[in-house]
Amino acid sequence: MNSHIQEKRGRRLGITYSAPMGLWLTFFFLVPLCIIILYSFLKKGLYGGVEWEFTLTAYRQMLNPNFMRVFLRTLWVAALSTVITITLALPCGYAMARSRHQVMWLALVIIPFWTNSLIRIYAWIAILSSEGFVNEALKALGVIGESLPLIYNQGAVITVLIYMYIPFAILPLFTTIDKFDFQLLEAARDLGASKPESIFKVMIPNIRSGIITAVIFTFIPIFGAYTVPLLVGGKDSYMIGNIIVDQVTKTRNWPLASAFSLVITVVSTIGVIWMMTSTASERARLKAPAQVVDANGGIT
Amino acid sequence: MSTSPKMKSAAVAAKLKKQPKKTRLEPSRLVEAPKGTQGPYKLPKNQMFQDHRKFGFSNIMLVLVIAFLFMPLFVVVTYSFNASRGMRWTGFSLQWYYKLFFDSKELWRAFANSFVIAITSSIVATFLGSLSAIGIKWYKFKSRAYIQVVSFLPMVLPEVIIGISMLIFFTAVRIPLGMFSIFVAHTTFNLPFVFLLVSARLEEFDFSVIEAARDLGATERQTLMKVIVPSIMPGVMSGLLMAITMSLEDFVITFFVSGPGSTTLPLYVYSMIRYGVSPVINALSLVLILGIMLLALGFRRFLKTIAASS
Amino acid sequence: MEKKAFTRGWMVAVAATLLVVSLFFATGCSKDEASSKGSGKTLYLYNWTYYTPESVIEKFEKEYGVKVVLDYFASNEDMFAKLKAGGSGYDIVFPSQDYTSIMMAEKMLLPIDKSKIPNLQYISPLVLGKATYDPDMSWSVPYFMGASGIAVNKTKVADYARDWSIFADKKLAGRMSMLDDMREVMGDALAHLGYSVNSTDDAELAAAQKLVNEKWKPNLVKFDAEGFAKSFSTGEFWVVHGYAEAVFEELEENRWDEVDFFLPPEGGPMYLDSMVIPKGARNIELAHQFIDFIHRPEIYAEFLDRFHFPASVHTKAAELMTVEPFYQGEDLANYELKNDVGADLEKYNEIWQTIRYVN
Repeated sequence: MNSHIQEKRGRRLGITYSAPMGLWLTFFFLVPLCIIILYSFLKKGLYGGVEWEFTLTAYRQMLNPNFMRVFLRTLWVAALSTVITITLALPCGYAMARSRHQVMWLALVIIPFWTNSLIRIYAWIAILSSEGFVNEALKALGVIGESLPLIYNQGAVITVLIYMYIPFAILPLFTTIDKFDFQLLEAARDLGASKPESIFKVMIPNIRSGIITAVIFTFIPIFGAYTVPLLVGGKDSYMIGNIIVDQVTKTRNWPLASAFSLVITVVSTIGVIWMMTSTASERARLKAPAQVVDANGGIT
Repeated sequence: MSTSPKMKSAAVAAKLKKQPKKTRLEPSRLVEAPKGTQGPYKLPKNQMFQDHRKFGFSNIMLVLVIAFLFMPLFVVVTYSFNASRGMRWTGFSLQWYYKLFFDSKELWRAFANSFVIAITSSIVATFLGSLSAIGIKWYKFKSRAYIQVVSFLPMVLPEVIIGISMLIFFTAVRIPLGMFSIFVAHTTFNLPFVFLLVSARLEEFDFSVIEAARDLGATERQTLMKVIVPSIMPGVMSGLLMAITMSLEDFVITFFVSGPGSTTLPLYVYSMIRYGVSPVINALSLVLILGIMLLALGFRRFLKTIAASS
Repeated sequence: MEKKAFTRGWMVAVAATLLVVSLFFATGCSKDEASSKGSGKTLYLYNWTYYTPESVIEKFEKEYGVKVVLDYFASNEDMFAKLKAGGSGYDIVFPSQDYTSIMMAEKMLLPIDKSKIPNLQYISPLVLGKATYDPDMSWSVPYFMGASGIAVNKTKVADYARDWSIFADKKLAGRMSMLDDMREVMGDALAHLGYSVNSTDDAELAAAQKLVNEKWKPNLVKFDAEGFAKSFSTGEFWVVHGYAEAVFEELEENRWDEVDFFLPPEGGPMYLDSMVIPKGARNIELAHQFIDFIHRPEIYAEFLDRFHFPASVHTKAAELMTVEPFYQGEDLANYELKNDVGADLEKYNEIWQTIRYVN
């Protein structure tokens, strides 16, 4: 993709430029991650910490059906929230890309995203409670007589999770849709495709990388969500993130927390590699015709 | 593998003369023109194919989603003017603002801590991240893939896990918990975002310009300072901005790595809300929202680049 | 050559940045200490949120010419995880009884020099009798003893049992919450059944588990330690299990009459928060002065007034109080301190999982 001039020199410069960040992340991110992996194979200390004794207890404990149930619930909540988020974010990204006021829309999407998340979650408690804004408004409109149970259930968790992560989905979708050549849509329409048909058959395949990025940026943080289920969830809303935090702060079982973290790390790594390879292959696919045109540029 | 430098510079010269016709919409056109380029910022292609119907499905969705995003902010602002502390409206009052500005020593101390950490960690992260993005984008070396993966992971890993792993790490290597450990943690989770933002910017950068500069006799340092840095500046600045806001916002990771005298604003907000002194926090929210809006206004040219990176 | 100089330039730049940053933190710390007037000392407290009134802190700062820096924890577990992980540098920490004893056992504390704290004379001998892990205050000085109770919204609920069985009341289903706290909820159930809140007997624990899972949980909206007071004030919850100060803090004072706060008479778990000096403390002398200051009768009464607490640990402050406490010290008669149950905590964990993770 890039021309690599004077390989030897380039290699040395590349390393010089990248080494500081590489070392920083190795030392402060990868090493901690390795400690997590190590801890997961050790025995739990009575009052927190670990005892230096190899054991697979943590992994055995992880197979506990109670945890598995929470794990499956987390998977389900994360998947559902992600699907709804992407479904909502797609038309938004599309509308923003086609708007004359892109910068304004971007600001409107980003500004709430920059406000302290806890403050926003607490505001949701006020919005959704039985004497809160939504219920009062619906009652005033005569839609309902009795307050609806809107808070402290899975519905509230999913609503607020979507709220928290929808900007993560809109931004990458907007950028890819913005790069998309809308002439292709026109062409499809000229060839007799209906509007939805042209969108699903022409546009969606072309913005696949944006969708994948949006999915990963939404799914993974939701999978590790901790404060949202704690604050707006009910008694049936515990998620994996809560269990991991509990293991460190409440039951003082650091190895189990580590084992959970390791599993999520592996899942995330697979996700990242999937994302990187799929965007790379798509880029290669899209780049191909451009290279033919760009004949006087260097082709690597 | 690549053509000779001579041929390249000729190609660059040719390119400079006639603007190459682009076959698809390049991201560079969507971002505001870099300093020095003439002409206002335009969206040539999209404007031609603008959706004519103002009330099309997607536009309505966008407005609804924005309303959804702003709904909690309106609630917070409303309560900040409530005369009583509860969640019932009992009249208009500015008492929480008075309390916020004249009777919230602890809160402002926490704010100062957050501010210090946000500034230092974002500067370091921006510096290291930008440098690394340049290295990865333009040069080929063995550990490239390694750095790419390592720089991706902190962004997609749940915060809880990053927080816990760092807590254990700091304990193990005996780094005391406090301002410094928070600084390290924030720099770590900021790095990938800056890296991606600058990389995205570099993606749009015409590499041949550098070769042209070199062919014209520029040294590596001159190329970097006079050609590369100015052109990636929007990416760098938006990375910095993003890092500052992420740092000001982080609660989960900070919760694990904080120590004596290092309570940050989100930690303080959390401990405060649990015991119900919310109106002052609501007042603070409006102050912060206004502050952020001012910031956003000032930095609106970089918003696009932020989006481009995600 | 140019290339080498260039590389070196970057190295210098990186080193300089790191140096500036480290200097920043170094000066940041020393400035902290230098900026306080008087003796120029800073006292670092690690405390529960809103547990020591700001007015008390300010008086101490003024009188001793020092600066007090407060950090907060929201649970004993958070505090302990932090200290266990090496978070040192605090001069006084406020753990509850179980963690006081754990910290004593783990040798994380410095001894208290009683000769420096004359106001220890006011500490109630009854309280010290309950603090079996440290009855003579060698390692810890009691700060406050209290218990969680039940708050009922009288405008919504007219007829209810004033004991733990209120949570079994099907009429109130979907309007009640209990604390998201293993030892609290289990302790309530054990006490209701007539057992010790520190029971490690399998049959007793199983009975408590059954009571919570089958009788109480179906009626609860959630286990909530963070937002229950807020939701109580909005009318979302009608009956909440929690701390009086949290409940009333959220309500306008003219609505306090609407609330019936009581401690169930069968008893339950109670807490005794103490002031301890952890190892690594930098101002041991000042820490002793602070502890003595807190137990000055008029200062202690100021603290109690602020939160409407009963004078449970102090023999002199009650007569100096100007407000009516939310509950009386005598209400605690049947209550029992939650002690550390050691390795048997695992039994509690397993039961709590079935309560918390399974629907």
